[in-house]
Amino acid sequence: MTRTGYRTIGVAIAVGLAWGPAADAPPAGAQTAPPLRVGFSSAMTGPSAITGEGVKWAAQMLADEYNAKGGIMGRKIELYFGDNAGTPGEAVSAVRKLVDVDRVDVIVGQTHSGACLGALPVVKELQVPMVIEACSHPKIRDQIGKNGNEWAFRVNPDDVMLANQFAKFIVQSSKTVSIFAQNDDFGRGAAAAYDAAFKKVGVKLVSTEFFDRGQADYRPVLTRVKRANPEGVLLVMLASEGSVFMRQFREIGLTQKLYARGSMGTVEFLYQVRDSPNIADGLVEATYWTPALDPAWEKQWLERWKVPVRIHGSLAAIAFRYAVAPAIEQAIKKTGKADRKAIRDALEEVDVPNTPVGRIKFDDTHQAFINMLLVEINGGQLKVLEKIPIQP
Amino acid sequence: MSDLLEQLVHGLTLGSLYAMVATGLALMFGVVRLINFAHGEFYMLGGYAFWYAYVELGLPYPVAGLAAVAAMAAFGLAYERAVIRTILARTWHVQLIATLATSITLTNLAIIVFGTQPKEVPTRLSAAILEVGGVRMVWQRVLVLVAAVAIFAALEWFVAHARLGKAMRAMSQNREACAVVGVDVQQVALATFGISAGLAAAAAALVSPLFSIFPDVGALLTLKAFAAVILGGFGYVRGAIAAAFLIGIAESLAAGYLSYAYKDAIAFVVMVAVLLVRPQGLFGRRIGI
Repeated sequence: MTRTGYRTIGVAIAVGLAWGPAADAPPAGAQTAPPLRVGFSSAMTGPSAITGEGVKWAAQMLADEYNAKGGIMGRKIELYFGDNAGTPGEAVSAVRKLVDVDRVDVIVGQTHSGACLGALPVVKELQVPMVIEACSHPKIRDQIGKNGNEWAFRVNPDDVMLANQFAKFIVQSSKTVSIFAQNDDFGRGAAAAYDAAFKKVGVKLVSTEFFDRGQADYRPVLTRVKRANPEGVLLVMLASEGSVFMRQFREIGLTQKLYARGSMGTVEFLYQVRDSPNIADGLVEATYWTPALDPAWEKQWLERWKVPVRIHGSLAAIAFRYAVAPAIEQAIKKTGKADRKAIRDALEEVDVPNTPVGRIKFDDTHQAFINMLLVEINGGQLKVLEKIPIQP
Repeated sequence: MSDLLEQLVHGLTLGSLYAMVATGLALMFGVVRLINFAHGEFYMLGGYAFWYAYVELGLPYPVAGLAAVAAMAAFGLAYERAVIRTILARTWHVQLIATLATSITLTNLAIIVFGTQPKEVPTRLSAAILEVGGVRMVWQRVLVLVAAVAIFAALEWFVAHARLGKAMRAMSQNREACAVVGVDVQQVALATFGISAGLAAAAAALVSPLFSIFPDVGALLTLKAFAAVILGGFGYVRGAIAAAFLIGIAESLAAGYLSYAYKDAIAFVVMVAVLLVRPQGLFGRRIGI
């Protein structure tokens, strides 16, 4: 193409950009409430991108649902997304982009513990409220609310809370356990929490192994597990890795009891292994969300996206629906505006007793205490074994 | 003993995968003196092509595998024409950025087109168990090992006896001299990319039933294959194959007896250690396939 050709296209684009917003603008004199700018931050790229895709889909469903009803207190929701790639460094950029470029009023995220730990100082510095939906690293609670960061709130329980309950269940069937965990903040935080919890209940930890996400071959480490011969294996991993892991677990002939933290006890995982649905029968996952808690949401998801409902998207939806939306409503009622400070203040007062995951009310460490679930895979189906309320 | 045997089986399977990918990388470097950082994405796309043919179209396994190889060979030709030919005369910085940019673009296109949910392609062989001397493995692993040996033997014959293979060898030794004596260097380079991409797809069709396919699968693979190419003596295909098996076995033994978390570091530790002693690589010689 000639230089003149490029220039013509450039001019056309510039004119288009200038014309676009003007063409969509409301007629002069019309009064419209400014939109609520909501940011969702998760891993949109990299080996954890499956979580971010779920979050994005959930956010789109929520925005459509709320906007169809006129928004929140008459204010439409505008969505913005940040890509933290599941890492602390990228989480910093994602938050800065959401705040500086997209000028969001509130953030829901970051899905991954490492990303969360990376984002915390930035949300404090930039003074933007962030509601954490799925990061379970125990250190997060040591930094939020009265512990220093007044801008972050966490809906989900952490791994110390989960481990103390889950260890009591595990000891009933396994006295010796090996841990196999993701080599990141989530995996290492969970492994440390279970190490401590096992000591309290008398479970002997035989070995702890870490793996990097996106591994192809788990056989070498499974051979180590075979050698150590524990009664149970605790997996701290997501469904995307879990399917390959389970095939190789069975290939090598292991028959240990399986326990999990992550997203193995989910419909995502069952979808991955749909050619051999019984491959993980007997596995028990410690979690706080399963589709049985909200069948209407699952149905709506299936109709819209044609793939099984994703746990991380659903957790983001819970955080938005039962923490962020009520806080925005409260902020507008109380102050007439939904700026960052008003939303932050309102989040401290949120108290929604009957959500699918239990009561959502933040304590002075900005931590909510929802229910923990033990979900078992049985005959290729998910079955809720127990619902355990978590106490502050 | 069966424990060691088991680790060796893992090592050989991994080694076969690394070797098939490294071979393509070494061929490309040998013939056109360019490092293709998008080569792992050839494997990824080959995996998706195989998944589409096998799962979506329901073709029989061998046909689906061959279809993936053919599709990726065509992609390799297009890539050479669209990307490589335009950057071949430029500096190595430009080549590095262009191939890296291709890698990132292909990964993100895969996220858009195929989604982020990993694709599983279980076959009858990946579910059938073989037990030998206390070692359990699926038949698919046997297929990977046998097919890898067959592919390397065929490649060896091709480079030694076929007209195109001889031209590739000659170009790896002296591109200018080849041009002077009438070898169509552009056509040879084109064919090299077709063969290399086809090899990556063959690896994907063989190995995917054991693992899974996802958009990011090629990133680490490129680095491992690159380590094998360096270790084997840059551009020397036999060296790259031997080094790839060495890395696969070293990784497996390290994961089995030292630490699984650091197994990926092993490939690079082995590479650095060898280069300290033999800067020209394990099979050090001048560039040439």
